[in-house]
Amino acid sequence: MLLEARAVSKAFDGFLAVRGVNLEVAAGEIVGIIGPNGAGKSTLFNCLAGEAVPTAGRVRFDGADVTAAPPEAHARLGMARTFQIPATFTDVTILDNVMVGAFLRHPGVAEAREAASRVLDFAGLAGVAHLRAATLGTPGRKRLEIARALATEPRLLLLDEALAGLTPSEIRQAIELVREIHRRGVTLVIVEHVMEVILALAQRIIVLNHGEVIASGAPDAVVNQPEVVEAYLGRSLTRRRP
Amino acid sequence: MRWRWTLLAAAALLAPLILQGSFYHRVLALVVLAAISASAWNILGGYAGQISFGHAMFFGAGAYMPAFVYAHWHAAPALGLPLGVAVSLAIAVAIGVPTLRLQGHYFSMTTIAVAELIRILVSNWPPLGAAVGLQGPATARTVWDLTFRGSVTYYYIFLVALAALLGVTAWMERSRMGYYLRAIRAGERAARSLGVPARRYKLYALMLSAAFTAVAGSLYVVMIGFIDPDSGLAVLISVEMVMVTALGGAGTLFGPLLGAAILIPLEQTANVLFGGSGTGFTFIFYGGIIILLSLFEPGGLLAIWRDRVVPALRRRPTPPVRHAA
Repeated sequence: MLLEARAVSKAFDGFLAVRGVNLEVAAGEIVGIIGPNGAGKSTLFNCLAGEAVPTAGRVRFDGADVTAAPPEAHARLGMARTFQIPATFTDVTILDNVMVGAFLRHPGVAEAREAASRVLDFAGLAGVAHLRAATLGTPGRKRLEIARALATEPRLLLLDEALAGLTPSEIRQAIELVREIHRRGVTLVIVEHVMEVILALAQRIIVLNHGEVIASGAPDAVVNQPEVVEAYLGRSLTRRRP
Repeated sequence: MRWRWTLLAAAALLAPLILQGSFYHRVLALVVLAAISASAWNILGGYAGQISFGHAMFFGAGAYMPAFVYAHWHAAPALGLPLGVAVSLAIAVAIGVPTLRLQGHYFSMTTIAVAELIRILVSNWPPLGAAVGLQGPATARTVWDLTFRGSVTYYYIFLVALAALLGVTAWMERSRMGYYLRAIRAGERAARSLGVPARRYKLYALMLSAAFTAVAGSLYVVMIGFIDPDSGLAVLISVEMVMVTALGGAGTLFGPLLGAAILIPLEQTANVLFGGSGTGFTFIFYGGIIILLSLFEPGGLLAIWRDRVVPALRRRPTPPVRHAA
């Protein structure tokens, strides 16, 4: 297993946001994590990425225990992430943003610039590489977020609602980009609100509700399970007592 | 870009010949000195975005050591410079490791507290002259006493130190460290997720900054020949570094130089006009600058020049920005 979470729980002042979640991701997979608002998706995501240390349970990445490792150690080991609200470095150029990631594997400035340019090419941002990142709108920033993470040359990429807030045509382009990343051998874990995205991309999904996994399996099967429908839409009308 | 710096260097070298007289020479030397300490502060505060209001402790470390080695061992004050840098680095590591875990205002507040603590300790510690202070040599025994008549020699010594500091900063700006520091300033969380060991690089920036701030302190004391807690460790010294940098433009090579060239002559003139009570005016003046900068242009004068003056001079609208898909 490339990524393995065992009985991961995270409490905030006694409130259990994530309760005993088990998750396994094999190399080459695309796994989706879905669930209604407040289900604990982001908290679980942060536990996986090293942003938060789980209250209980362990996280292993490629055989190494990374439960309490800081985010920069995750990046070094080959796990990259994006932020739900793009954390763009706005006062430097788009190229400089990506170079920060590229420096991880290419310490020299010239090599980092070259590697970053290749990533920008791939992400379709080459044309704007020398503009200040502040000039990008939301779609561009989401794209830059992915490009920057890719520049660290990860084996596993965690996408936190990387496509939220895009228009339908932008979403289609972004889905293509994610597919292309996957074709290049990167394993993906995707937290997403937009069901269309999950159904198009994920080979397997897990559903969180109130911090617990309530369903997992192939996307088509899972989204029709009564527990999942109920978590998203509430109790179905036909089963409501008079 | 290069020809501008050449021009600036030429102007700096010729300035004492054009502005004759001991008052002008003294102001020129103090401008360069303020440019050194502000440029040193700028490495941590400007490039790495960690706002310290306690850099007086590093300035003081550098300023006290030359006076200390002279007062106790009659050694040449020049020897105190490497010693001051060493003490400053030790303080930087000792306070940096715990405080750089703090972010934003918390880091700033801690630096004020530590600097004030050191000022109070030194004010009560006889080996460092307590509240009375320490005296440097009155007349030069050898050239290593760095005691000269007039300010011109100091001015040129300071220029050499400033050039070295700007050289180091320019190199850092373009290296991996520069990219990492700018990333930390823009967002530490994101930087760390991209593999930037943020705490380690903040500590590097603090150490580099502390070392050169100590150099500024040592140069100050060899010129003035006297140091006490008020002139070496007061909070106003820290604030001056912040002001000079912020006024010119933090996180740029040229910003601190511009800030020093504007603020220091004003301050010195105010001192002449108002005498000892001028310190109070300085505080009010700094307060006014802080309010104006934070209200209108946190990027300082260089940002005003770049974003408002240059486009206006070109008399055409800035080209429309193409958004990426």
